[in-house]
Formats: sequence, structure tokens, C-alpha cells
Amino acid sequence: MQPSRREDLRLIAGHGRYSSDWNLPNQLHASVLRSTHAAARIARIDTAPALAAPGVKAVLTHLDVERAGYKSIVGGVATKDKNGELMKKPFYPILATDRVCHVGQAVAFVVAETPEQAQDAVDLIEVEYEESPAIVTFADARAPGAPAVHADIPGNLSFVHEHGDEAKTAAAFAGAKFVTKVRVDSQRLICNPMEPRACLASFDAATGRYLLHAASQGLIAPRVHLQQITGVPATDIDLIVEDVGGSFGIRSSPYPEYMLSMLASKTLGVPVKWTGSRTDTFLSDYHGRALSLTGEVALDDKGNILAFRWEDEIDLGAYAGPFGAFIGTQNVSIMCGGVYRVPSVFVRSCLAYTNTTPVSSYRGAGRPDIAYAIERLIDQAAQEHGFDNLELRRRNFITPAEMPHTTAAGQTYDCGDFPAVLEHALKTVDWSGFPARRTQSEKRGKLRGIGLASYIEAAAAGAQPKDQTAARVAADGTITIYCMAGGSGQGHETTFVSVFAGVLDVAPDAIQYRASDPAFAMIGNGTGGSRTAAGQGSSFTLLAQALLAKARPHAAKALGVAEVSYAKGVFSGGGKSITLKDLARQVAPADAGTHPFDSEAEGSYGATYPNGCHIAEIEIDPDTGVTDLLRYVAVDDLGNILQPMIVEGQVHGGVAQGWGQMFGEHAVYDRESGQFLTASFMDYPMPRAGWLPNSGHFDRVPHPVPTKKNLLGAKGVGESGCSGSLPALMNAMMHAVRPAGVKELQMPVTPAVLWRALRDARAKAA
Amino acid sequence: MNKIEFTINGKKVATQVEGRTLLVNLIRDELKLTGTHVGCDTSQCGCCTIHLDGKSVKSCAMLAAQADGANIVTIEGMADGDKLHPVQQAFTECHGLQCGFCTPGMIMTAASILKDHPQPTEEQIVKGLEGNLCRCTGYINIIKSVHRAAELMKA
Repeated sequence: MQPSRREDLRLIAGHGRYSSDWNLPNQLHASVLRSTHAAARIARIDTAPALAAPGVKAVLTHLDVERAGYKSIVGGVATKDKNGELMKKPFYPILATDRVCHVGQAVAFVVAETPEQAQDAVDLIEVEYEESPAIVTFADARAPGAPAVHADIPGNLSFVHEHGDEAKTAAAFAGAKFVTKVRVDSQRLICNPMEPRACLASFDAATGRYLLHAASQGLIAPRVHLQQITGVPATDIDLIVEDVGGSFGIRSSPYPEYMLSMLASKTLGVPVKWTGSRTDTFLSDYHGRALSLTGEVALDDKGNILAFRWEDEIDLGAYAGPFGAFIGTQNVSIMCGGVYRVPSVFVRSCLAYTNTTPVSSYRGAGRPDIAYAIERLIDQAAQEHGFDNLELRRRNFITPAEMPHTTAAGQTYDCGDFPAVLEHALKTVDWSGFPARRTQSEKRGKLRGIGLASYIEAAAAGAQPKDQTAARVAADGTITIYCMAGGSGQGHETTFVSVFAGVLDVAPDAIQYRASDPAFAMIGNGTGGSRTAAGQGSSFTLLAQALLAKARPHAAKALGVAEVSYAKGVFSGGGKSITLKDLARQVAPADAGTHPFDSEAEGSYGATYPNGCHIAEIEIDPDTGVTDLLRYVAVDDLGNILQPMIVEGQVHGGVAQGWGQMFGEHAVYDRESGQFLTASFMDYPMPRAGWLPNSGHFDRVPHPVPTKKNLLGAKGVGESGCSGSLPALMNAMMHAVRPAGVKELQMPVTPAVLWRALRDARAKAA
Repeated sequence: MNKIEFTINGKKVATQVEGRTLLVNLIRDELKLTGTHVGCDTSQCGCCTIHLDGKSVKSCAMLAAQADGANIVTIEGMADGDKLHPVQQAFTECHGLQCGFCTPGMIMTAASILKDHPQPTEEQIVKGLEGNLCRCTGYINIIKSVHRAAELMKA
């Protein structure tokens, strides 16, 4: 049978190859000793008992890392503040030096003959910690007299980022008829891809090269970071990745265990494998979100938006993780006007260190957070000042006639039809029929609410200057295509082969696909920012055109004519024809050298602006605080859709992660001890089957307005589900509970939180 | 060390295991059947689900020694040569997988649900999948896949 996706056959048969599925002869196994304290000086580490344990070959500490000359883990932004200062950034060691700054920080790395021996030996390492007070929230970090996470960073303040026009915004607020202010927390989350991290490193002393198997989102960033940290040239690191069990943003750069496995392999002369557990995931994968946004909107008497003003509190964790500071500076700033015509904006973001696991990008990386804040603010403003929440949006939407539109935050939206998307969603959900449905719920003693969000996000242009692709043609005429992005469930293999084969007008089966092959030293973005289909996909379009252009003169020669035509994989001319594949075979060099059809292509594609309107309808059982999501409508302008089934899956997944953040997920640290309280699936509620509405109550409706910023007209989908769902769900929640007297809620709205809020509101009313 | 014998995917295996060795580690590390995955350390995620004597079992929650004499089927044993098991076919048809990491466990659990409930209700499917986590799909297409597998198996 034909699978729906090309990658499916191996994955449903158990033949996928994930990080921990790789093995090499004579490999040793590693285990990590992690800090049990949030803040402590390390007075002494004694590795001798561990070294003496059965099977143990090495115990690495920071001394070994320093001896090897390894540098700080790479992170932070190079942006300057208004005084021309760079962000304050501590050295981020691979293994803790003389102190630990968060629970779970790697302290030592044990290598033994079996994984069990390594784990046993970890427990034998003696570490003498001298504990000091820890701070685990932004507010505590910034409080006067707070303990310093890093002695040389006063007030734990890393950076203050400002964006927009402060004076103009202040003037707009001064002249406003109405002002509304909302604070929203986007709580710390654990990304939790289902595949825990693992790696296998092997140093070849003869060539000086490393083989490394470790999940990534693409080839370039991890290898560049590895080079910056270890000093090993990127081109000497063969990072081989096949299947990746989910990424969601946290796998774009290397983790300490990867460098430690490389170092141990070089030292011991055999391959070293590390297989992380879920506990390692919770403690040491970069965390997500962890920020609070306080927004104010200024309105005139008719409800026209005059300005937005934002004060953001960004918790970086203990160090500047790879993309943590990027979230708090760029991503929450550039889209801070949303889909609205806003004459003036101003954002001030404070980035602070806490004694917690460092934060990096997680599905949307600041974009869902700002979309959430804007749409909460609009609903709240409508509520406070007596505007209809639909009319307030309609009045302020940037209209198609105003496109392209450069926002006060400095982004140029090239296209989009926000008013039509809203109307489409309202019709799909039967918005006007809601009061009758609410009455039905009330009869059953339930609270019912409906909420919407008109979101927009910037799908990234990418950190690399361009996306290169390549095609290699084998002697048998088979074509293999390459790019630098790495998939982790997005179906790249299916999408890119289909794009390429589509231009060639041949069956996709004729094409092979290989991602992130280190043998190809190309430039290209890793997967991230919802940009890969548009960026790499466009480059694959060019690649197919380039290959055809190379083949055409050969076809003319083979057919003995001056001009050939091409259709459905066949060149024709002078009454004769030859297939592309036969031609490729004919002209293949006898020595298996470069095939004349081997091709390269590249393109640079700017940001696109996926947008949409999501609507959620919920019902609450006030006796239990349990919320049932009855209906979900996602009308999205994702531009042209390349693979409808895959795009639908991305929306489902994004909304599910939004659901998780809204109703349950929360990485909680104890405020006193700095201990991590929710570090397992027993304590951290992951969404489960049946918590989202089934396909009959989940309407996903495309409303494409194709962009001209790439060759495919695609805008990106990966993160839109989070951006739409957080505000839609919370607006529905507030709509449901406001009549019961609940004025404010923060995520996650667990049954316990909701039950308590309803009880307190009742008590207050009584 | 404990001497054990069992059948896995139709093949007889005789081996020695440490008392503490988990069944999943024996399957993955010694038998090299890496389709059975380890996604957690608290028996919550279900990525390691296999069939043991006809019942779905989390192979991380069992010692290898306990499998002595058992008949085990892993994801690699589900297809009949080139012919996919109907549950496997349904998962690809309905896009019930994205990254694929939870998928072997989902397929093994789904097959078990369908054994108990050949024409399952939505509730029976949801209840049956309670012990399997997925981070990619929102489960919508996984549930759809189980319904579809029921159809395929009836036909």
C-alpha cells in the first residue's frame, strides 16, 4: 500500500532510527551527575569512589573540560541596549565549576562499560555543596536585596530591551479616552518531545574526525556551536541525524552531553553513548516560555487604537540559553501590534537570571505569548469600556487595501485579509447561535463561554543568509535531493520531494531525500520559526528548474533535434521522446563521477505573516472546575498549503500544546528551596487522548491569502496553533466565568484553580 | 544472572539477564529491536508498549526475568511480511503519526483496544489510550486511526 507520508512506512514498522537507536562496536555508556541544589558552592568533588566502581572507565569533571579548552555554551543576543551596552552574560560551563546555579545542572560525567554501571557510579561521586539562597521567579530575582545568581550581575538583570517610540506612545496615552491594562503570565513549560535526548560520539584518531549522532533541527547551528565550544572545526564533525522524536525548538543547538561524549571518546579511544531519561529531559532540556507581559492599550472615544505599551518580564533561567534572550528581545517585540492598525507602540523587556534551568525556544518562542497578550487586552478593553469585542476588532483591523502595511513595530505585512478571516471563523462556529447554546448549558448547571483570537505571527526569515539545496543524480538515473533543515515529524521528506517532483512532473517515488548530510557543506537554515516549507521548499523549486535546464540540451542531443519540449518526466522532439530517467542513465559518466545533471540552487526568503482566527467554545462544571472544550474552530491564512494533511496535523499539534499550557502544564519550582517540583510525567500534566475535541468538533478551515515573498506562496504553519489557541481558550474561559464574578485568571487554569476562583467569587458576592 | 527463554516475534530466544534488567532494555539493547522506545522513567508514556501473551504491556514496567516463558510481539512483529497490520495501515492513512516516536506504542495499544472492543466507541478508545502520550498530534488523528483500523479489520 501507499503510505500517506514517505516517512511513515519505517516509523509504523519500528524501523525508524532515533538518537538512542544508534550503536557502535565497543561503545561505552555515560551517565550524568546533576546538581541537587538550586544555588550552592561546590566545596569538594571526590570522584575516586566512582572511578573504583566496576566497569567505570572515566569520570569527567569541569577540570577535564577546562583542560580540553572547551568554552562556554553559546547563547544570548548581540543587540545593544539604549546605552550601548551588551547583555550581561555569565560563562555557561558544560560541567559546573565551583558552583551550581540550578537543580539539574551537570556536575560530572561517568563513562562505564554498561549504562547500569555508569548510573551506579554516579551515585558514588561525593560532592560537598555549600548551599546559598536561591531565587526562582523573575519577581524574586529583581526584588531589592535579592541573592545574586551570578556575583558579577547586579540585580540579576541581564538586559533591558526597548523597541518602538516611548515619547510618542506616552503622548498617545495622555490623549486617550480609554485605557485598559492587562497582565498575562506565560508560565514556564517543559517542551517534552517524546524522544528523550541521547547521543553517540566516536572520535577517529587516524583522521581527527568525530562522528556524532544526536537529534538536531538542522546541520549548521549545532555544528557551528560545537566548533565554538570545543574548538573542533565544524567540518570535522559528522553529525548524522535520521529520525528525531519531536523538537519544538529545543534541539537547535548542542547540549553538554554531546561535547562530553566527544571528549570522552577522544580520551578513551572508543565510542561513547549517552542515553538520557525523561528526568534528564525535565531537568536539563531547555525550558520554554517563562515570561510575563503587561500590556496597555490606548483608545479614542470611538474605539480606535492609539497605542500599545508593553512591560515584559523575561526569566532567562540560570544562564543565557541558545535562544532565550532572543525571545525576550526580538520575538515579543516585533509583533506587538498584532493584526491592528496601531499608530504607536513601545515595548520594554527586562531579562533576568534565576536559579532555574535555562530557557530557550519552544513552539513559537515569544510569538504565541505576545499574540495571547494582545488578544486578551482587546477583549478586556471591549469588556471594560462597553465595546462589542467583534466591533472593536473590525474597527482596528489592518485591511487588505492597506497592504503592504509597515507596523509601528517595524514589520511590513505583505498581505492578509484579517476581516474576512474573522467573518469566516464566526460563520463556521455559528457565533450568533451562542446565546441559545449557553442557555442549554445553564439548564444543566454548567457555565459556557466562547472566545476568539485574531492572531498573527512572523514566520522567520531564518538566521542563515540563504537556503541552499542540491540534487545528485546516480548512474541509474535516481535523483537524491539535499537540504540543511532537519525534520522531527513535520513530514519534510514528503513535502520537499513532492515540491521537487511536482516541478519535474514525475512521481515522487522517483526521488530520494536526505536531510542534513554533513557531506554537503551547504548553507541553509535549520528547522524553526515555521519557515522551512516556504524557505527550503522554494529552494527545491529552483533546484528542479535548474536540473531541467541542465538536462534539456542533453535531451536535444539525444533526440537529434534543436528544441525539445518537456512534460510528465519526458522530453519530446522530432517525433521521438526520452524519459528524464533514461536520459540521466544515458549521460551518466562511466566512472561514477559528477553527473551532468547534478544541480545546486539557493534562495533567500524573508519573513511571512501567518495569521488566523481561532475560536474556542468551552463548558465548565462549576462543581469540579473541569473544563470541557466542546468546539474548536481554526480559520488560518497560512498562505498556499502544500500538504493539507500535514498542515492539519501541525494545527492539531499546536492547538494541543496551547491546550496543555492553558489547562495544565506548568514547570514549578519551590520558592524557598529552588527544588524543581514537577520534574516527571507524574507531576507535569501532558495532554492526553480525548482532551481536545474529536475531528467532528474541531474545524480547521484554510483561508489562504498567498504571499509573494517566496516561490510557493506559503506562510508557515508550525507554530500558529499555539498563537491562536492560547488567547482563544483564555478569552472563552473569561467569557464563561465573568458572569460568575471571576475577574482574572492566569494559566494554567487547572480544575483546582478554577474551582477555587469560582468559590472565592461566590463568597465575595454573598 | 537469570536464565530465561521466551518467544519474540515468532522466534525463540534463550538468554541470561541480570535480575534488575528491564524487559524493554533486553528488547532494545540485546535483541536490537529498537522499534520499542523508551520515552520516560515512570511508566507514563507508553512508548515501550508491547504484547505479552496477547496483552499490551509497558515493557519498562516489567523485569526481563518476568518474561520467562512468555510469547512477546513487538512493533517489528506486527506486519505480515510486506503486508501491514490494519492498525499500522490506519495510522498512515489517517496521519496518526508525526515524529513517530510514540507510534510503536500507540499501535500496540490500539491493537489491544481493538482486540477487546472490535467496534470501539470514542470513549473506549480514549480510555484505552490513557496510558500513551503523544506530543505532536493532539491525538485527534490517532483516535481517527483507531476507528479506521476497526473498519479495516471488519472488512
